[in-house]
Amino acid sequence: MGDEFPKEYDVIVVGTGMTESILAAAASRVGKRVLHLDSNEYYGGLWASFNFEGLQQWVGDCQKPKDETECKADPQLADGESAIKMRVLNPPTATNVKEQWHVPEAVESSGDDAKKAWSQEEVKKLYRKFNIDLAPKLLYSRGALVELLISSNIARYTEFRNVTRVVTWHEGKLTPVPCSRADVFATQNITVVEKRMLMNLLQECTEYEGNPEKLKKHENQSFLDFLKDKQLTDNLIHYVLYAIAMSTEETPCIEGMSRTQKFLLSLGRYGNTPFLWPMYGSGEIPQAFCRLCAVFGGLYHLKRGAEALIVGSDNTLKAIHSDRENLKSNYLVMGLDYAPDSFLPEESPGISRGVFLIDSSILAADKEHLTLLEFPPDESSGPVTIVEVGSLTNACPQGLYMVHMTTKQKGSAEEDLMSVAKKLMNFPGETDESKPNLVWSMFFNMKDTSTCDLGANTPTNLFLTSGPDLDLDFDFAIKQAKEIFSKMYPEDEFLPRAPDPEEIILDDDDEDKQKQPEEKASEEPQE
Amino acid sequence: MDDYKFLFKVVLVGNAGVGKTCLVRRFTQGLFPPGQGATIGVDFMIKTVELENEKVKLQIWDTAGQERFRSITQSYYRSAHALILVYDISSQPTFDCLQDWLREIEEYASNKVLRVLVGNKTDREDREIPTSVGEDFANRHNMYFVETSAKEAENVERLFMVIASELMEQARSKELPRYETPALSSRSTSVGDGGCCGGRFS
Ligand SMILES: Nc1nc2c(ncn2[C@@H]2O[C@H](COP(=O)(O)OP(=O)(O)OP(=O)(O)O)[C@@H](O)[C@H]2O)c(=O)[nH]1
Ligand SMILES: [Mg+2]
Repeated sequence: MGDEFPKEYDVIVVGTGMTESILAAAASRVGKRVLHLDSNEYYGGLWASFNFEGLQQWVGDCQKPKDETECKADPQLADGESAIKMRVLNPPTATNVKEQWHVPEAVESSGDDAKKAWSQEEVKKLYRKFNIDLAPKLLYSRGALVELLISSNIARYTEFRNVTRVVTWHEGKLTPVPCSRADVFATQNITVVEKRMLMNLLQECTEYEGNPEKLKKHENQSFLDFLKDKQLTDNLIHYVLYAIAMSTEETPCIEGMSRTQKFLLSLGRYGNTPFLWPMYGSGEIPQAFCRLCAVFGGLYHLKRGAEALIVGSDNTLKAIHSDRENLKSNYLVMGLDYAPDSFLPEESPGISRGVFLIDSSILAADKEHLTLLEFPPDESSGPVTIVEVGSLTNACPQGLYMVHMTTKQKGSAEEDLMSVAKKLMNFPGETDESKPNLVWSMFFNMKDTSTCDLGANTPTNLFLTSGPDLDLDFDFAIKQAKEIFSKMYPEDEFLPRAPDPEEIILDDDDEDKQKQPEEKASEEPQE
Repeated sequence: MDDYKFLFKVVLVGNAGVGKTCLVRRFTQGLFPPGQGATIGVDFMIKTVELENEKVKLQIWDTAGQERFRSITQSYYRSAHALILVYDISSQPTFDCLQDWLREIEEYASNKVLRVLVGNKTDREDREIPTSVGEDFANRHNMYFVETSAKEAENVERLFMVIASELMEQARSKELPRYETPALSSRSTSVGDGGCCGGRFS
């Protein structure tokens, strides 16, 4: 295959994380020649979703000692060029990885009474039924990603499920939060008077933007104080502050209102909560962008990275050295986990993640729910974002639920999340009947590089991209991709709508050409 | 506008150059493109066929640029109803790779997906893979088998019609995994209710 591999590109993208994949799609879509590499054999990097076996491999990779050995590459250099060698190994940059079983290796089937008793064997046997996210995300129904998927027509590669309930932890137990108008009226957790108060407040939050005067007064106020001023009951304050605005006691009023507004704007578009969950996991989303890139001619090669970067004397990147070849490119986009140490920003904050497999829902109901729980902060932990998914999302086999926890890192992931986990599920030896039993758990930390300055030390035509951030939705990755795209191609439209198959006219009279916005002839030789 | 009763997603895989794109275009457009270059901007083609007085819409997904290096995204296999694995009867290497393709399919496609093995280019004189060898392979792996020529239009129609009727039968007997229709209706306002239904937007 060697000689059919083109040697020159407009953009080479290394890493198939979210931002990288959006950029690859955007460049390919407007006719640029794109090569997209990933040294892993799977898509998504730290944004990937794995089945149970794939996850075991990932855990194994994480535990490999960090190897700083440089590649032995010996690229040909022109005058004034120098080569920056890359590391041979780029193990996932997750730390404090701790995976643990909480059920026996095997159990004898105990007849038909009560709950099914799970064993390690049985879970492993069903490994293909899992899609376990490293970076679980929800989409606001009117958020940036949903709008982008629709406007670019990439939506056709994706499927979603509605989050069916928003739940909060209040007074030592879980309660569903009424969030839509219908919910508010239907709920029995709050009184009629409270219902009216809540409706009024939500109304006010949707209108605040056009009211600069009104806003002024709240400028220096916290959202909590604002809610208290409204004479809301404790119940309502809790719902609005923690579950709807996903805020804390310190959140400024304006931010709290704008978060509430974001929540409300996304209500009612696709279901009775504002959120969507990607079927088969968040790892599908970067892949959807990769598919578009490929459909527009982008070349993909997994298990292949860059061994060296070739930089000219003017501090611009000229080429990458990959698999004994120099591949020229006008631009290089590179996931931060691939970057040579000299490009890396100083310290970045961290994310603590927990994944739990349990034998029933954290809040039992008569049907399978997809649940969002924003666990309020307390003495022992910060606010923790919790998403519980069941078999309908293909996250796990029937009869099990998977709980994802995400919070800002303070200690290790286990330290940061254990107290919340203990409140929601039975650990071995505990037998609270109202709680699910823990089957398996995993903790890990990863860096949150969304706040770092990534442009500081790099050649001018090399763009580094961040890994997953703490936010619920993908807004950050989209913003970063747009910024980089507009630096590369300020004249070009960012992901214009891709035509549907019905709209494409293939004309074969003499040669194969397609009537499309940008007529692009194939560059690839045919074997 | 869309008055079809069934919609099925059919996915093609196989080594570069075995004739996947030619098979799709022969079936959907009735032609054999003379200089088939890498197709750009088309991810699937659609053909509506009639079977037992029912309209059946086939959405046929061809692999794209990523395919050359075997880097198909796993999401490509998601929600496929049928999978066509193609080799070139005049090329042993394309046959030898079938194992690898099967491994990938097992990993990512649904268990219940209908699988068809296709030996293409029967018009060629320089056959390397006897029909019986292809047949054997298909039997061993529980696949349907057919040999085709996209060039001579041999068995191409039949290939897709058999798939359509098989899927229709499965759908009628409700064996078919009940996916939301994959990736269609770019304009219509769809999407599930507030319940546990899947959401797809457009
Ligand atoms: N003789 C003969 N040639 C064929 C037949 N089908 C395809 N070809 C030729 O095989 C070559 C490859 O066909 P494509 O349809 O582009 O193959 P593909 O599997 O789509 O290849 P990639 O898109 O690169 O994966 C072209 O030169 C076709 O003309 C056939 O039935 N008979
Ligand atoms: Mg092709």
